[in-house]
Amino acid sequence: MTNSIAELEDAKVILIVGSNTTEQHPIIGERILAAARKGAKLIVIDPRAIHLSGFAEVFLRPRPGSEVAYLNGLINVIISEGLEDSEFIAARTEGFEELKQAVAEYTPQKVEEISGIPAEDLVAAARIYAGSERASIVYCMGITQHSTGTDNVLSLANLAMLTGNVGKPGTGVNPLRGQNNVQGACDVGGLPNVYTGYQRVDSEEVAKKFEAAWGVEGLSRQPGLTLTEMMDKAARGELKALFIMGENPMVSDPDLGHVREALDKLEFLAVADIMENETLELSHVVLPAASFAEKDGTITNTERRVQRIRKAVEPVGDSRPDWEIVCALARKMGASGFDFTSPEEVFEEIRKVTPSYAGITYKRLGTQGLQWPVPDEDHPGTPILHAESFPIGKGKFTPCEFREPAEMPDAEYPLLLTTGRLLFHYHTGTMTRRSPSLVREIDRAFVEVNPADAAELGIGDGEAVKVSSRRGSVEVNAKVTDKVGKGVIFMPFHFAEAAANVLTNSALDPVSKIPEFKVCSARIET
Amino acid sequence: MAENGSEMNYRLVPSTCVYCGTGCGVLLEVTGDRLSGTLPQKDHPVSKGALCIKGWSVHEFVYSERRLTKPMVRSGEVLVETDWEAALAAVADGLSAARDKHGPDSVGFFASARCTNEENYLLQKLARAVVGTNNVDHCARL
Amino acid sequence: MSDLKSIVREKLRDGADAFLCLKNEEGTVLPALITDADSPDLELVEVGDSRYPLGKILIDLLREYPDKRFAVLVRGCDERALVELSKLEQVDLERLVLVGVACSAEEAAACGCLRPYPSDIALGEKVEAAPGREVIDEVESLSDAERMAWWREQFSRCIKCYGCRNICPMCFCKDCALEEPHLVEPGVIPPDFPSFHIIRALDMTGRCIDCGLCEEACPAGIPLRSLYRKMQDIMEDKLEYRAGESAEERSPLSFLGSEQDIEKLEE
Ligand code: SF4
Repeated sequence: MTNSIAELEDAKVILIVGSNTTEQHPIIGERILAAARKGAKLIVIDPRAIHLSGFAEVFLRPRPGSEVAYLNGLINVIISEGLEDSEFIAARTEGFEELKQAVAEYTPQKVEEISGIPAEDLVAAARIYAGSERASIVYCMGITQHSTGTDNVLSLANLAMLTGNVGKPGTGVNPLRGQNNVQGACDVGGLPNVYTGYQRVDSEEVAKKFEAAWGVEGLSRQPGLTLTEMMDKAARGELKALFIMGENPMVSDPDLGHVREALDKLEFLAVADIMENETLELSHVVLPAASFAEKDGTITNTERRVQRIRKAVEPVGDSRPDWEIVCALARKMGASGFDFTSPEEVFEEIRKVTPSYAGITYKRLGTQGLQWPVPDEDHPGTPILHAESFPIGKGKFTPCEFREPAEMPDAEYPLLLTTGRLLFHYHTGTMTRRSPSLVREIDRAFVEVNPADAAELGIGDGEAVKVSSRRGSVEVNAKVTDKVGKGVIFMPFHFAEAAANVLTNSALDPVSKIPEFKVCSARIET
Repeated sequence: MAENGSEMNYRLVPSTCVYCGTGCGVLLEVTGDRLSGTLPQKDHPVSKGALCIKGWSVHEFVYSERRLTKPMVRSGEVLVETDWEAALAAVADGLSAARDKHGPDSVGFFASARCTNEENYLLQKLARAVVGTNNVDHCARL
Repeated sequence: MSDLKSIVREKLRDGADAFLCLKNEEGTVLPALITDADSPDLELVEVGDSRYPLGKILIDLLREYPDKRFAVLVRGCDERALVELSKLEQVDLERLVLVGVACSAEEAAACGCLRPYPSDIALGEKVEAAPGREVIDEVESLSDAERMAWWREQFSRCIKCYGCRNICPMCFCKDCALEEPHLVEPGVIPPDFPSFHIIRALDMTGRCIDCGLCEEACPAGIPLRSLYRKMQDIMEDKLEYRAGESAEERSPLSFLGSEQDIEKLEE
């Protein structure tokens, strides 16, 4: 997030797009409702009616995959009604003319044809967003998990800069990170193209710095492969060995049939995990890991707040924390530089090589954490990013053209499937489905079907159905509800026995390499 | 119920909920030597003493029967329990063999959005400095 | 708060096996169980500005350590909770030593409970404060139809965290009616209106000791405390009973028998 969670309460307008905040980030969802009680207007854009849409001033329900079209439409309305922030545009941005030209054709009427959003609702939303002094955008996977995900995010940035909603309290473009430490895993170099703090692996200067810090030579300057690319390479028989720490790709990844095939081809697969899971059956070695309650460390939340977890009890059985496992493995492989005796020592090394973490110590984190960047030990942390300027000088508008999703409904697969999470579960369910309080609420997959589609297909509420896509099929019970629009069906992806990801498409966004979980074509049979 | 005369222990350990990116403040309750519950951290800057149902039950999975408790290595169709020495040696051999025969980029690492910063840091250091590949990624995109 | 420190020492010396109080660790106030006078935690004890359900913690501790005696730091609300829990046979006051602390004028005003002090005050000075009635007055100014709509809108924000129940010192049932699928549909938010909240309000009748922890824990900011407070007002008005006030007087709602007997019947 560019801004902080607590600040949401000071926004005058909050645009929630592609985020079922109440179910995925419940406490942030309630923060948004607190803002509404203080008078903030909510605009919700989502293919499903969600808890927050019931509180919205305007609720737009587009067809999944039409994001760039309706975001360009909002920009179009703002410019044609002269609601943009000209002062901000002149002082802090560049490329406005190009943007203006690019969005000219996205009239509310055209957007209605593409997205199904009534033209007058789009206009109403644009006026509310542009008409307030402080408007915040909150988004999540409903924006990013598309083959056009990068364009979707750029379009949101265009919208925020156009109205000067950047760098001030209660504004910003705020992605909500799905899993608890997505932010941190990225921050510390768990990505193929960057070391810690987003320092690029293909920069000679950076590589030299890490060679010196780690006491090694010849670090690869060649960016590595993303997770989905590694899967493809494994399927082709070119990736030979894989080490998986705390992941369950056999449920979480798109197109599970393909994942199984890929993992099966590996000559060697090792998994470190806390729980039995679907990926173990394909692995050669399994290492039992300690849970969050059994180890120390830090995690970084969606507002860049680095926070501590603390060891409360001893690890069960012979399990060990992952930090110990990785150190022991590195030493086994003959490496030096892995003689840490505590996570705090590891953190000390991280902050030495990571400018944005440089001023953070365990002691300073205490029970409140600190928001990076924290350049030195006297720095109080950074609740708002880009307050003075953007990292590359002026903010640049990037016009985007609408493209259809990789796969669209057709005669054979006439419905549009979208996937997501439920309030009561987390990711692939390995933890939450072992938790009695959560299982009591819900422990079964389902597919949401619009009543009109259900009537056409002759499906009753609660009936068992078969949902198929080009990649596979699963059996689940139908939930007939007008939460989803006509032609759209929804499935949660937590449940391995009826895994939505058997169906999903692994088509990637060309830049971010995010798979298109949020749209594929499907059909339902009884 | 504790054994007669055994040491009394009740502690609350400040920690962070691990069920989503909000990062709410929790206090893990420990009675004796076991986790016994979760309470909200009252003065937490994000959650301010509130939690969702997942946060309130974040301790519940820890003693699940599905926890992995022993290292295992494959022998034919089945995984058999072994000790840490043997398991780590098997992993070191597996990764080294691929690297030596097919080059560092024939090896890949999945880091984890559910592990700590320290653990992810160490894993990418292992991939880059020890194996020599930048093939390290995690499920941020998923 | 050096006084508290010496009180803890004294109680441990005088026969308490442990002292349940609050400590300040890295700026955060949280409950602590001090079992010996040399404990490093003793340096950190303080009355603090955060409250936790000490009564509920004691229910578990008394069960876990059946041969131990505990001293406990109590504000007015903690004492009321323990008094009522003892009548409900959940704690044994004989095994407890209560050390009372009176809330400051500021705390009492912010809280608005009827009795911001315990019966025996070891720390602080007794102050009275005006009971908080803003929400009750607001609702009472509405017509009956408007009242229902008002509560419906409040409860529509509920995300079923069960925090109100989980933090409540007076909620201890093994089988909770809120988890009965035929009373409240599982897995749905907001939970059924009004059943979820009415079940809880009825369970609180004659039992709620007005500590307000429920409202503090509610992520949706639902004015639960006022709802339960009004129920207690009605109880007092009609049946002359207020939970936690007196150790002798039993709740008029106990005419069915003891909680434990009822639980046995259910099994
Ligand atoms: S308590 Fe709920 S909202 Fe807070 S971090 Fe945990 S899962 Fe997320």
